[in-house]
Amino acid sequence: MFVKDPILLACTITVVLPFLSFLTIICYTRKWEKVSCSISIGAILISLICAIYLFIASRHFAEPLQYKLPWIISGKTIIPFGFLVDHLSMLMLVIVAVIASLVQIYSLGYMAGDPGFSRYYAFQSLFAWAMMTMTVAPSMIQFYIFWELVGLASYLLIGFYYEKWSASQAGKKAFVVTRIGDVGMFIGLVILLLFYGNLSIVGVNSAAVAKQIPAPLITISAILIFCGVIGKSAQFPLLTWLPDAMEGPTPVSALLHSATMVAAGVYMFARLFPFFSGSADALQFALLIGTITMVLSSTMAMVARDIKQVWAYSTVSQLGYMVMALGAGGYVSGMFHLTTHAGFKALLFLCSGVFIHHYHTNDFFVMSRQGARSLKVPMVCMTIGALALSGVFPFSGFFSKESIMVALASHPNKIWLAAGLFGEVLTAYYTFRLIFVMLFPKEMEETHHEEEHHEGEGILYWLMGWPLIILASVTCVLGFFEKQFEHYLLGDYILAHGVEHGAEAAHAGGHWLTITAISLVAIGVAVAWLEYGRKGASQEGFLSRMPAIEKLFARRWYMDHFYRWALDMIIYSGFTNIFTRNDRRVIDGGIDGLCRGTEGSGRIASFLQSNMVQYNIFVMVAILGFVALSFLG
Amino acid sequence: MISMEMANFPFLTVLLLTNLVALLVIMFIPPERDKLIKQVSLFFAGITVVISLYLYVTYDTSKGGLQFVERYLWIKSLGVHYFVGADGINLPMLLLTSVVLFTGVLTMWELETRVKEFFAFMYLLVIGVYGVFMSFDLFFIFVWYDVALFPMYPLIVIWGSTRKEYGGMKLTLYLLAGSALILPAILYLWTKSGLNTFDLIALHNAGFTKHVQIIAFIMLYLGFGILAGVWPFHTWSPVGHVAAPTAVSMIHAGVLMKLGAYGILRVGMFLCPEGLQYWAQLMALLATIGIVYGAFIGLAQNDLKYVVGYSSVSHMGIVGLGLATMSVGGLNGAVFQMFSHGVMTALFFSSIGYIYDKTHTKMIDELGGLSKIMPVASAFFIIAALCGVGVPCLSSFWAEILVFIAAVKAYPVRGILAICGIVITSLFMLRVVMKTFYGPKNEKYAHIPDVPLFLATPRIILAGILLLFGLFPRLILDVIQSAVIPFVGGF
Repeated sequence: MFVKDPILLACTITVVLPFLSFLTIICYTRKWEKVSCSISIGAILISLICAIYLFIASRHFAEPLQYKLPWIISGKTIIPFGFLVDHLSMLMLVIVAVIASLVQIYSLGYMAGDPGFSRYYAFQSLFAWAMMTMTVAPSMIQFYIFWELVGLASYLLIGFYYEKWSASQAGKKAFVVTRIGDVGMFIGLVILLLFYGNLSIVGVNSAAVAKQIPAPLITISAILIFCGVIGKSAQFPLLTWLPDAMEGPTPVSALLHSATMVAAGVYMFARLFPFFSGSADALQFALLIGTITMVLSSTMAMVARDIKQVWAYSTVSQLGYMVMALGAGGYVSGMFHLTTHAGFKALLFLCSGVFIHHYHTNDFFVMSRQGARSLKVPMVCMTIGALALSGVFPFSGFFSKESIMVALASHPNKIWLAAGLFGEVLTAYYTFRLIFVMLFPKEMEETHHEEEHHEGEGILYWLMGWPLIILASVTCVLGFFEKQFEHYLLGDYILAHGVEHGAEAAHAGGHWLTITAISLVAIGVAVAWLEYGRKGASQEGFLSRMPAIEKLFARRWYMDHFYRWALDMIIYSGFTNIFTRNDRRVIDGGIDGLCRGTEGSGRIASFLQSNMVQYNIFVMVAILGFVALSFLG
Repeated sequence: MISMEMANFPFLTVLLLTNLVALLVIMFIPPERDKLIKQVSLFFAGITVVISLYLYVTYDTSKGGLQFVERYLWIKSLGVHYFVGADGINLPMLLLTSVVLFTGVLTMWELETRVKEFFAFMYLLVIGVYGVFMSFDLFFIFVWYDVALFPMYPLIVIWGSTRKEYGGMKLTLYLLAGSALILPAILYLWTKSGLNTFDLIALHNAGFTKHVQIIAFIMLYLGFGILAGVWPFHTWSPVGHVAAPTAVSMIHAGVLMKLGAYGILRVGMFLCPEGLQYWAQLMALLATIGIVYGAFIGLAQNDLKYVVGYSSVSHMGIVGLGLATMSVGGLNGAVFQMFSHGVMTALFFSSIGYIYDKTHTKMIDELGGLSKIMPVASAFFIIAALCGVGVPCLSSFWAEILVFIAAVKAYPVRGILAICGIVITSLFMLRVVMKTFYGPKNEKYAHIPDVPLFLATPRIILAGILLLFGLFPRLILDVIQSAVIPFVGGF
């Protein structure tokens, strides 16, 4: 069976190898670091090769190919395990495999000498396994299972430095907050399961769903499932976990926040796109959430001083863009932005990793003063990434953002387009604020880092350097493949659904849009230049003249404070406290009272046994008398 | 009609007798030879594992029904039969019992006080547990049930810790109160049937009137429910867990609480399906309250064992919810959850046992940073906690997902509430993991060695089982289902 079907074989290898590598490392090779990392990297590279093979093999598929094995049979519920090979899943699989392999190779340098080196690679393998199996899931149950495992792996990776309280807190927060979204998603899926009967992705996306389920229920379940996206992709109001998640090692941030964990939410949205399009209200809801997220997180990025925080907020806002695109019906533009974002965001994080590793600080003002621009390769690569992020021609971000704007423009309500364009200014501003600060430090400190190079660090920097170069070159050229990308992705979509969304059709009439977008980006960059770049710039943003707003942005719109307060008030001093007291006082108190009552009544009854015969006889006679009277009566 | 297949060889009786022989052998070993006592205990526990595993593997799921049946008349005038058998519901329970016994003995390997009495009582307890799980005669079920309850008291009061007298007394009183409800219910059914038999299958076919079923079911439900930790009769269980010594906590939470749920299923639901329908709404309500309530209280606890105790309340709520759905999916999930919760709590207590032995505290605030000091010992606790959170690939996940799907269908509001409860569960589990194992290294405990391989064996076995059934749930679900489908057909 395997030999006859190379696609099945390739799928199996892709998915199983990282898991085997995880088990092997965690059970056997924890002591031997070199073996552990070779196993893990070997596994992910073979997976990558298989993924590329699958990507190429599937390019002419008209119909999605499915393989299913019943993993659980419980009554009428059958939960299958298997693979769904179509254009979308293969595209995502390749993205994940590429980023995961690059990050693992980069980590050889970044994590060298860490006491938890083997553990790190074990978790990386676990993560890759969960993410890739989720990508190829043929049914939503399998999708949900591996979605949860992705959450687990990210919990382990974010909390990797478990000796730091802040890191383990951040891991816990990421897990619990995303779980809130997952619960919504699970309920949505169960509703779908109960009314539709199965959760195969092809089935859920088919037109039959609309016939079997009443429309309001589709909207409810679509919005509930979208809650999963809100959690995983850090959308408003659950976005607070993501900035904290920067506590993990930097390569982990690159992995989680470029192509994998946070993109999983957007991927699910795209995966079930035909289902979501069945409900206009759900799409409208998504559009709203995406827009709020995008604007909020951009404002937060404008005042952050931690380099990783800036990229974290920018990730959130770019995810907001993707959700907006999908919400506005731009299936291809959303996925295209996901793809380009995966490349340039991984690039930005990995570059920051080099700086952080080198200067042992996260504050980019400090880095800059210590001479960050002397690290040529990462500085150039980071600038390329930043150009892509802010959407400058000819870098990949320009094309994908352009196509998002087109999608938004085709929406009847122009307010979304306005918000999207406004976001472009903010993005350009906060990105170049960072770049200009790094490039043109206000004053330089005496640096003595040159002498600190240890023997053998050269090879490590080389290992960390070439993933950067690969990603940077991808970022430079990827944008020009937009047409091919669209063809590849839509190949099956058009065939299966026969509708071409207006968003893609409207592409031609958008010259004024391109010009507006470019000029807005230019404004953003120019403001950043005036404040941070030019000679004698104060390096203080215009926001510092408005302390109230600056504080609002820096404190993340007080969302964390609100959640903390809600957690304390509602959960800890609310339910937990009341229930605990109820347990102690009412339930236990009642039982203890009952015991004391029994004891007490026994003591009272014991007075009857007074050893005085005349009383006993008296009582006996009295009772017999009553009995006799009652018989007589 | 349930098909029955008589045994070629009396495996179940042998399984029961193995424990009895172990008990007798231990009684005849002089108390100062405690090494030998432990070896003998381990040996016999190993035999029970082999037998129950053999039964589990050779059970024919395609035929289903009762297999390995032995049925002899015991007391003719009352209609008491020695009637044992195995089906898809009790086989996982027998396997669970033997695994928990085996790992429990291993966990107590470093016990020094009154070794002989400890293992003797433990075997006495386990005889009762096996007896309940394999009997199909109400009289025997009740007798074995009481045999299982009695040794808990000395085990807790002599070898326990933290408020052991209070805990032991509370537990015994609660469980005897449960018996006091079960016995009248059994006698009531016996008289109402007019068949003069305690045979469970015969009584099942007796066709009680609805009125009888309603009365009998609520008594059986409350009686067995006390042992299953049904809210609001759960408070004995965390206190008991905390007071009991490690292996007893393992058996107590791992197996004894299952006895309650099993009793509800095997006796209550089997004999009184109409009574179940009448009370199902209440069952689902209490179960849902238990799930959410247990999780919230777990959040406030500061003692590792209390945390696990309240998590048990929450997880046993899932079993109750699954039973209340009266559907194939729900019952599958409930039985699966009984099994995986048993293994999970055994793993929890086994890990806590080692930590408590070495650090002499189980207060979360006094611990911290243990992962650095004993990575292996910590890893097993974390695996158990992840299983409790319901992480996929560990067996609890499947059980929960099956129960929740069935629950949303049968009781939408309560089902959704229960699902929301798992957020709180993850919050309190991860809080404990963080406070106990993460954070900076605690210098006070820096000298403690990590758990040696031999002492880690029980945890390796338990974690392996969680992972095995988590990855390949059909290994157990197909067995369970072979009994559940005809069972639900009877409703």
